[in-house]
Amino acid sequence: MPRSNKYYWWLQLGGWSFFALMNILVSILFRQEVTPHYLEQILIMMCANILSTHLFREYIRGSRWLLMPVEKVIPKFLIGIVVVCLLASSLRLLAIDLFHLSSRKTPLQTRFLLLNLESGLSIIPWTLIYYFYHYIEKSRKQQLDTLKLEALVKELELKTIKSHINPHFIFNALNSIRALIDENPARARTAITELSNILRSSMQTEKQETVLFEKELGIVKDYLALEHIRFEDRLQVRYEIADESLNQPIPPMMLQTLVENAIKHGISKSVNGGTVTIISDLKDRYHELVIRNTGRLNDAGSEEGFGLSSTRNRLQLLFGDAANFDIREVNGNTVEAILHIPLT
Amino acid sequence: MIKAVIIDDERLARNELKKLLQDFPEIEVIAEAANANEGIEKIEHLNPDLVFLDIQMPGKTGFDMLAELEKAPDVIFTTAYDDYALKAFEVNALDYLLKPVEPKRLADALQKLHLDENRDQEGLAEEEIAVNKSLLHENDQVFVKDGERCWFVKLSEIRLFESVGNYAKIYFGGNKPLILKSLNALEERLDEKVFFRANRKHIVNLRLIEKIEPYFNGGLLLELKGGEKIEVSRRQTVKFKEMMSL
Repeated sequence: MPRSNKYYWWLQLGGWSFFALMNILVSILFRQEVTPHYLEQILIMMCANILSTHLFREYIRGSRWLLMPVEKVIPKFLIGIVVVCLLASSLRLLAIDLFHLSSRKTPLQTRFLLLNLESGLSIIPWTLIYYFYHYIEKSRKQQLDTLKLEALVKELELKTIKSHINPHFIFNALNSIRALIDENPARARTAITELSNILRSSMQTEKQETVLFEKELGIVKDYLALEHIRFEDRLQVRYEIADESLNQPIPPMMLQTLVENAIKHGISKSVNGGTVTIISDLKDRYHELVIRNTGRLNDAGSEEGFGLSSTRNRLQLLFGDAANFDIREVNGNTVEAILHIPLT
Repeated sequence: MIKAVIIDDERLARNELKKLLQDFPEIEVIAEAANANEGIEKIEHLNPDLVFLDIQMPGKTGFDMLAELEKAPDVIFTTAYDDYALKAFEVNALDYLLKPVEPKRLADALQKLHLDENRDQEGLAEEEIAVNKSLLHENDQVFVKDGERCWFVKLSEIRLFESVGNYAKIYFGGNKPLILKSLNALEERLDEKVFFRANRKHIVNLRLIEKIEPYFNGGLLLELKGGEKIEVSRRQTVKFKEMMSL
């Protein structure tokens, strides 16, 4: 945080200079004489206070006092203030004696006590200012972050609901089905059932956090069957599903989104089409899902599409760092998306 | 009889459209294509009057395909969804159908086509095409795609072609998009009675000249309807005067 550092030194130097000036002003008004000896004392005080409060600040930052709750941090600050006062007074005493500036023959203990009280008068305000400055800054930032997060969540919700079913897909499917009614009435009938299943599930799953993989796979199978009507020989589909993975819970419509992506960016862009492979397997600690399609990863991949970023966000929200998502190009002609979901 | 070509990557979609077109005996589907490259081949080979064109296709989109054609036929776009791409059109010189196609909408779109004035000149145009197939007629339209924006432009609306490297900038209305064609290639295809090569960098539409003024070195300065000022080189000035005196 270079910016706050810059402010810090301005405030630190400015604040202590102001304090020193006030001291001189007060002594001019009441004692009527400002000796060089007095000015030296003031200078020593300034240096000692700057040094000790700076050490105090380093300590506060190092042990993250500002992140702690108020009731825990108050006693720490009280002790801190006492320690800093002792430090500042000792420094001053040391410097005064070192340079033989002391004129009066007051006993050491008394001088030390007086210096401590005097330091307290400046260190306590310093601590209060320091703490409240950061307190206000922190709460302002928190508020901003909360607002941003809220906006993001809303946007995500809205977009996921909309993106669940691509209207292109629905209308293309309906068009294919209409052509099939004459050509292959039996296939047209199953196609209508498949489309109904997809529409129904997309309306139901919005509220659930996870569904059984078996159910999600059913929807994906219906979806791919419909796309196969459309693409005919251009689309080949392969499944490699381990039976024991069927009753694993997975986030709804996540596999569907990735398969839709595979069709949209892989198959539909290629004149000769290609193959989509879905692999599901249980590894020792996670459920591995792989979606492979013929095609190339968009080289303009600087900005990843909504499908991918929403997959990442959803995994992060549901499983934190335990889940994993990766998409990459293999052998120059295949794109592979891999999902790792922790076993429950 | 209107000769039509259907371009769509889905066989079932093409079939469905053919079936719907059976109710319109004046439309004869002479060919089908499953992608943009096949489409270009069929259009250039068969010279259809009308093209039903899907926008989303593998390889190239329907728009990319049109931009590659020397001259654009009448086009009815077909798309599954109210595509944002259709909103890219500045000049609404097209019609589009949403799949699955409603028979009534298809009838309307074809009706609009019949009303098109081009039909009157068909006899003449056909003769001309036979004589000189490669020359572009003033009433021909070109499809221009510049980034996200698209236009169907009649050649007669274009004031000026300007050479910009390998590209040509074309001026019409308030627009000046770039097309990937060299000025020399364009000159060969354009009707020299209408389009005149004023200098190395410019071809102007003679019908859209506002003012002619003498210029240095015995050259001329043409001011076009859009306010552009184009210098005619000395050599071309002689030719220009000859043409104008005819």
